[in-house]
Amino acid sequence: MKKYFAIFRVTLINSLAYPGELIGRSLMILPFMWIFHQLWSVTFAAAGAQEINGLTVRSTLWYLMLAETIELSRPRLGNTISEAVKDGSIAYILSKPYDFLLYHYSTSLGETIFRAAMNILLGGAMVWWLVGAPPNPFGWPLALLTILGAWTLNFCIAAMIGLSAFIVEDISAFQWIYQKFAFILGGLLIPLDFYPAWLQTIAKALPFSAMVYSPARLFVEPSLPAFATTLAMQLAWIAALGLLLVYFYRRSLAHLTVNGG
Amino acid sequence: MNTLKFLFALWKANLQSVMEYRISFLSQMFGMILNNSIYFLIWVIFFDRFKDVRGWGVTDMYVTFGITASAFGLISLLFGNTFNLGDIIARGRLDYYLSLPKPVLLHAVASRTVASGMGDLVYGFLSFAASGLLTPLSLLRFILAILLSATIFGAFLILIQSLAFWMGSASNLSMIAVNAMLTFAIYPITLFDSSAKIILFTLIPAAFMGALPASFAQNFTWEILFQMLFGSLAFLALAILIFQLGLRRYESGSGIQVEV
Repeated sequence: MKKYFAIFRVTLINSLAYPGELIGRSLMILPFMWIFHQLWSVTFAAAGAQEINGLTVRSTLWYLMLAETIELSRPRLGNTISEAVKDGSIAYILSKPYDFLLYHYSTSLGETIFRAAMNILLGGAMVWWLVGAPPNPFGWPLALLTILGAWTLNFCIAAMIGLSAFIVEDISAFQWIYQKFAFILGGLLIPLDFYPAWLQTIAKALPFSAMVYSPARLFVEPSLPAFATTLAMQLAWIAALGLLLVYFYRRSLAHLTVNGG
Repeated sequence: MNTLKFLFALWKANLQSVMEYRISFLSQMFGMILNNSIYFLIWVIFFDRFKDVRGWGVTDMYVTFGITASAFGLISLLFGNTFNLGDIIARGRLDYYLSLPKPVLLHAVASRTVASGMGDLVYGFLSFAASGLLTPLSLLRFILAILLSATIFGAFLILIQSLAFWMGSASNLSMIAVNAMLTFAIYPITLFDSSAKIILFTLIPAAFMGALPASFAQNFTWEILFQMLFGSLAFLALAILIFQLGLRRYESGSGIQVEV
């Protein structure tokens, strides 16, 4: 585990090498938060309600801030792996004394931490200014732990999409569709609480809600039972998708031919 | 006339180039149609729950989203390099276009086709058909609206990416600007107060890309047509001016080479 922690640490430090780039990319959360504020303020006012399905304008905005942070800070791992497969550089990593998947897991976590911190900082400042103080700090560490689970889940799916480059020429279509499923079934733009009951049931049974909705909802309405449910859901999906990923990885390697170099 | 012939030859070569990998082209096209359809479901869910936003309903969204998608697709297909013009400038790769006897900006931006743009272009028409407003006359208005919306979007991209002449690398700024433009273009215009609307007609001209063309596609008025024509041509002129001004500052990358 020491070597993977070292890889994580090096990537983490590397991500600070270009602070302008880091801040620049994180600025994107600002227009999103502003437009969400406009949309939900008008919607709540039109509905003539202070609270809809347990959420107020304030909690909806804080929910969306955390959901956007999870989405905007996740690295485009599918592209990285797919490029490595296409240009053959995968052979370089495979010849090293570390596991390919754990190597990518460590680097993707390293790339994510500061990007997420910057998004929380900028997005949080914007939302605080627009609707007021953040929710109960008791939920912050709970949400943080489940964000780690969300990133791990994302890793499993993104790595599988990246590895599909062994079979298909172009993985972009898979990436777009995965992202949109995360948008719609994860509750990225509209909290799942506002969905019709039947769609909520479907969405909450799938891994996407454990990747976006559950951590963000826990952040605005923290409770130990909700934390335990989210964690259990994430662990179950990580086990299932993790096994699938390992199987997919081993099958993919059967397609690999390395010709010197 | 010669320029037009050159442009058509360029588009033909680009199309042949992307069609070389037919499966990839088709997967990107159908993948993008599916991607947009899934994304639009969010609005279907929203309007099913909340009905309308200050008079803006799901029908308006079908039309606005359709025009924005098709305009985006058209630019991706015909002027795909508008998305990475800043990178071309920063890396000194304009040398290639400067060394040839064709209009530099036009040649540079039209030299690439983004295959997924076909999916966006087609999706826009499907979205318009789904709105229930499709008639022969409204289709003509829709097509004109797409052309003007695409002009604004292309001009905005050129303008933002041309800042690379001064800033060196404009990739972050252009990423934020393009995302803001697309986000504001597909959200209901009725959300915004008058000061925000001023921004959406000037600094980030998203209203010219989404709301205004959508309104024109639904109901013809000379006033809106004039506004769209004026907005798109003014922005295009400004974008060309900024590019030409920047070109005077351009430093060669010693990159005169054959582009394959």
